[in-house]
This record gives sequence, C-alpha cells and structure tokens, in this order.
Amino acid sequence: MTDAADRLLSVAPSPAFWVAVVAYTAATAALLAVLGGHARLRPLALALVGAACLAHGADIGWRGTQDVHPAQSVREALGFLSFIVTAGYLLASTRYRLTLGGAAVMPVSLVLLVVARLTPAGAAPEDLTVLGRIHISLATVGVSVFALASALSVIYLAEERALRRKRFDALAFKDRGAPLEALDRLSHRLIWVGFPIFTVALGLGAAWMARRGESLDRPEYPLAAVTWIFYAALLVARQVYGWRGRRAARLTLAGFAAALLVLAIYLVRRMAG
Amino acid sequence: MTELFVVGISWRTAPVAVREKLAFRDEELAGALQAMTAELPVAEALLVSTCNRVEVYGVGKSGADPTGPVRTFLAAQRGLAAADVADVLYDHRGTAAVRHVFSVASALDSLVLGEAQILGQLKAAYGVANAAGTSGPLLGRCLERAFGVAKRVRTETAIARGAANVSTVAVDLAKRVFGNLSGKSVLVVGAGKMSTLAARHLHASGAQHIIVTNRSPEKAEALAAEIDGIARPWADLERLLVDADVVISSTGAREPILTRALFKRVTKARRWRQLVVIDIAVPRDAEPAIGEFDGVYVFDIDDLEKVVAANLAERAKAAEHAARIVEHEAGQFEHWMRTQGVVPTIRALRERFARVADAELQKTLDQLARRDHTPAQQREVIQRLVTLVVNKLLHQPTIALREAPPDEAGMRAEILCQLFDLSPAEPGSAGDQNGGDEPRDPQPALDREIAEPAPSEERQ
Repeated sequence: MTDAADRLLSVAPSPAFWVAVVAYTAATAALLAVLGGHARLRPLALALVGAACLAHGADIGWRGTQDVHPAQSVREALGFLSFIVTAGYLLASTRYRLTLGGAAVMPVSLVLLVVARLTPAGAAPEDLTVLGRIHISLATVGVSVFALASALSVIYLAEERALRRKRFDALAFKDRGAPLEALDRLSHRLIWVGFPIFTVALGLGAAWMARRGESLDRPEYPLAAVTWIFYAALLVARQVYGWRGRRAARLTLAGFAAALLVLAIYLVRRMAG
Repeated sequence: MTELFVVGISWRTAPVAVREKLAFRDEELAGALQAMTAELPVAEALLVSTCNRVEVYGVGKSGADPTGPVRTFLAAQRGLAAADVADVLYDHRGTAAVRHVFSVASALDSLVLGEAQILGQLKAAYGVANAAGTSGPLLGRCLERAFGVAKRVRTETAIARGAANVSTVAVDLAKRVFGNLSGKSVLVVGAGKMSTLAARHLHASGAQHIIVTNRSPEKAEALAAEIDGIARPWADLERLLVDADVVISSTGAREPILTRALFKRVTKARRWRQLVVIDIAVPRDAEPAIGEFDGVYVFDIDDLEKVVAANLAERAKAAEHAARIVEHEAGQFEHWMRTQGVVPTIRALRERFARVADAELQKTLDQLARRDHTPAQQREVIQRLVTLVVNKLLHQPTIALREAPPDEAGMRAEILCQLFDLSPAEPGSAGDQNGGDEPRDPQPALDREIAEPAPSEERQ
C-alpha cells in the first residue's frame, strides 16, 4: 500500500463493509417506500436493516482481526457508534412502528460508517493506554445511547407538531407512527442508561488527560462537559419538576448536538493529522 | 335450473320510516324462513334484517320465479299490501344476486363504506337459516364464498382502514398519544349522547377508569351506571382533570368550562403528563388556548369530523378496487354454478359407463373361471371384453349421430369432436389407411357398426 493510501485508509474496507453500504441504502429506500404507502414492504425494509446491521457488525469484527478496534480512535468509534444506533433501532422496531425514525436513522448510520471507513486515518495515536481505550469505548457507547434517544426525540417532536397542528395524515403519521407517550418514555429510559456510562467516560477521560499531562484548554473538553450538563439537567428536571414531552425532547437534542460537536472536533483534528 | 335470488329493501331505496315497517325481530326470523320455504316456491332461504336493510337471499324451486311471491310474503308478514312497498323493494337473480350478496358482505353496499358490522350480521343470519333448516347447498356455498370475499376485500384494499365515525376517531387520536389505553383514566364531562358513545369506545379499547361529572349529579349517576363508570361531584372538576388521561367533554354550557386559567393550574399539577381533550360540545367546552400547554392535545368536533371525512374519502377510493374484486369473485361463483348444472349429467354418464364395464367384466370373469385357458385364449377373451365394452359405450352415441336430422348432424359431430378431442380424417387420407406398422385394429365390430346400419343395443 502506498503512503497516501495508507494515510487514507488504515485498513482496506472489508467486503462486509460494501454489503453494509448496499443494505443501508436499500433499507433507506424501502423505509421511504413504506412511508409512501407501500406498507407491504415493511418486512423487507426491516430485513434490510437487519442485513445492514449484520454486515456492519461483521465489518467491525473483521477489523478486529486486523488489530483495528472500536476504541482505537474517534474514527473507529464513529463506525461503532453507528452500529449501536442501527442495532438499537432494530431492537426498538420489534416493539414500536418507527418507520419515520428508520428513514432518518439509516442514512445517518450509513454516512457515519462511510466517514469512519473512507476518511483519512491520520497519525496513529500515541500512548493509547488501557485507560484511554476504556474512556473511548465508554464515551462511544454513551453517545450512541444518546443518539438513539435523540432519534426518538426527533420522531416525538415531528408527531407532536403534526398532532398539535391537526395534520393527522402528516409524514410523521404515515405508516401509523409510534405513540407519543411511548417515545417519551423510551427516550427517557435511554438517557438513564447512557448518562452514567457517559459520566464514567468523562471521569476516565479527565484522568487519562491528567496522566498524559495535557491541559484541558481544548474546545472539546468544555463541550463534553456541556453535553453532560444538558443530560444531567434533563434528568433532574424530569425527576424534580416533571419535565417531559416537548421540553425533554428539545433538551435531549441540545445535549446530543454538543456531543456531536465534540466528535466532529476530534475527527477533524485526527484527519488533519 | 335453480338460481339464486335476492329480494329486499335497503337504505338506498327507502328511508328508515319505511325500512322499520318491514324489519324482523331476531326471534321472528326462523319462523318466517320456515314459512317461506313451506309456502312459496323457495327451496333455500336466508333473511337478514338490520337497521339498514331487510333482505331475503334464496334459491327458487326448479322452474319457478320466487321473487314475486317473496315480495308479497314480506309485505304480508308485516301486515302491508304488496303494492305499498312495491316501489322500494328490489330483486336480483343469478349473477346479479351473487354480486349483491358479495357486495353486502364486503360492506360495499353499506351506508358507511367498509363498516365491519354487516359481516357479523350476515353470519348471524346464516346461523339462523342453518338452525331453521332453510339453508341448502347452493345458498350455503354462496354465503361461505361471500365471507371469503369480504375477508379478501378487507385484506387487499383500504376499504376498512381509518375510523369512520366520531367516537372511533376519538379513540384513534387518544391512541396516537398513549398507544395502549389499558389502565388509562377517562373523564367524561357532561352527559351528552356523543360523549357516552365515545366513552364506551374508549372503555372497549381498554380504558379502565371512567369518571363522570356533570352539573346535575343525577344525570352523572345515570350515565355512570350506563357505562360502568363512577360519578363524581362537579365541584371536583379541577382535581379530576389532574388525574385524567383522556377528557371527553360535551356539556350544554354556553361558556367554555375548560379554560386557559384552569389548565394553567392543572398542567402544572399534572407535571406535564400527556392529556387528550376531546371536545364534542357545540358551543365548545374547551378554550382552544389550552392546547398551547405542554402535553395537552385538544380536538374539537370539527377536527374529528375532518378525520372521518378524510377516511371515508379514502374508503371511497378503495371501493373501486373492492368492486373489481367482487366482480371477479362473482364471475368465479357464476362459473361454479354453471358447472353444478352439468354435475348430474356427468354423474349419470360415469354410472352408465361403470355399469356397462362391470357387467362385461363379470361375464368375462365367469367365462375364465369355468375352464382353463391357455395364455393365448386368455388374451383373446380380454381383447373381446375390451371390444365389447367399447362397442356398447359407443353404440348409443353412434346411433344418435347417424340418425340425427340433417340440420343437427353437423353440430352433433362437432360436439363429439370437442368432447373427445377428435380430428376426423378425410376418407382416403393417409391416416385412414391403417399402414403396415400400425397395430391391428382390435375393434372390427365397431368398424362394422360405423359402416353398416346400426343394430339395436339389446342385440349386442
């Protein structure tokens, strides 16, 4: 492999990656068709989501055999994050009809996967200790869970807006949609799961930075703290003041936007080398 | 040949004032059916009597047109003269009758397109006819097929999708917020008929706690008893709103009861839990501004009726597809009925062939049993048996063909060719030469019969 190619792709994409790309694309098209009124395509759409999830998982496994692990870098973590989001969506779909959510989540997972695999790998991280790996792993899982909660919040806001405007046949309700109360409850539970994981990840990250003797003046550190504050505030507001529904959904999205900014800064910095 | 018929009256032809005069109570159905089959030229009969139709589906006795007597019978049963209802009664026969039964079962002829009730009513009427012994093979087959067609129509088209009345839409909207209504609490404010219906629908959909409040405690008590709910004093309204998940309001108040000021306190006390307010009162009970609070969703009668109208429009679109399914299925059933007309002929033909074959076989077996035969003799006996059977079977058709009047001979020959898939060779053609490689014709007697004047069957 040439230096340029080596820099572009740390490990060449596996065949499973290309299968996942095709399956994600087909799943998106099928979910859009279901929203367009072709309800009979729903089982096919879910099967394609399942195929994409399997292929994506196989690609992650294959990279593991090449000594490239999800916790190795932000780039790999992104690929793992989109895998968790897809798997979470698939799991939630067994209970609720989340066609609109799927049509939004599948392209996002696809883009994240492509970004994770086909963007420049940058220089290999130095002194990536066990502490660093655990930090990256937990942060990835935490943000993935927040991503799922955010996807549900987006669906909630779309359905809520349609209902409030008396647009009963709006896109949000095509293929029936999930009940508002269930979306709100599920999103809240996910934040209860993601928050402690993210909290531990932040603590370990701070310890890792301290051990490496790095200062905390990079923009991603306060942004990560802002993410934590948003979700902490959300949990407190819900517990103490009963915040739920629209307010909770907006706060969930604000927290996730901060988390995405952190990831974007990491990614750009790594790509720049 | 017998055929299906329909005689009836429906919302399409008569107002309720006329329909109710011809309606039958459930306990009257069996007696009327038995009288019909006993006194009229009706072999099989079913009577369906609902709020939107009174119809007799039946099969006439052979050669008779039963529709006239059934019209008279229906009128007489209700103490009316046939002429009084002649204009509003309709009748169909044959395929038109089948198409009508299929359309009724599929709710294409219903006042509310695609409603589910009529199918249950038809099944109940079929049960009554079965119990009364007035349903027979043709009517039974038609009804069973009608139930199948109805299922197909509901599965393959959108005819039954979307709520078609205000109460069901109210339930549908509550489900969009809560999903499963099991364990949810419904507060009925006022004691109007519409709120009673909506509360019943919610209860049927799983809502377990129904609270009724009204300015008049007596009315609240009466309604609560009617819908299996609990009556609460009007003074507790604010506290009841805090606990409710769905509110159905239909009071006769001139001013709004569910005001913004009230809901400001209520939503805070509820900690912004979701609340669906169905306001079916005119003038409205709920100020539209309460819908601005987080978690509060307000729907008035116009919202509900808009949904009903949209759903009915969707059903009307689906009805075209459904009608094509009914038409196709009616055609299939008509084909089945036609084949049923020739079944006795097919059965007689098979029995006759079997009789001839059995008789000749028995004679041959007796002959073989009487003395020992060499293999060559056995072969000859069996060959003779086959020849005899073929001769006997073809004897009558051959005579019918030979002795046909000149204007029918060609047609009979053509029918025979179609029935036996024959391609008659021209005299003197190659196929008629029986070339050297062909096996020897084992039917000289038949050849003789074709060539010579026919002997009688008895002589064979």
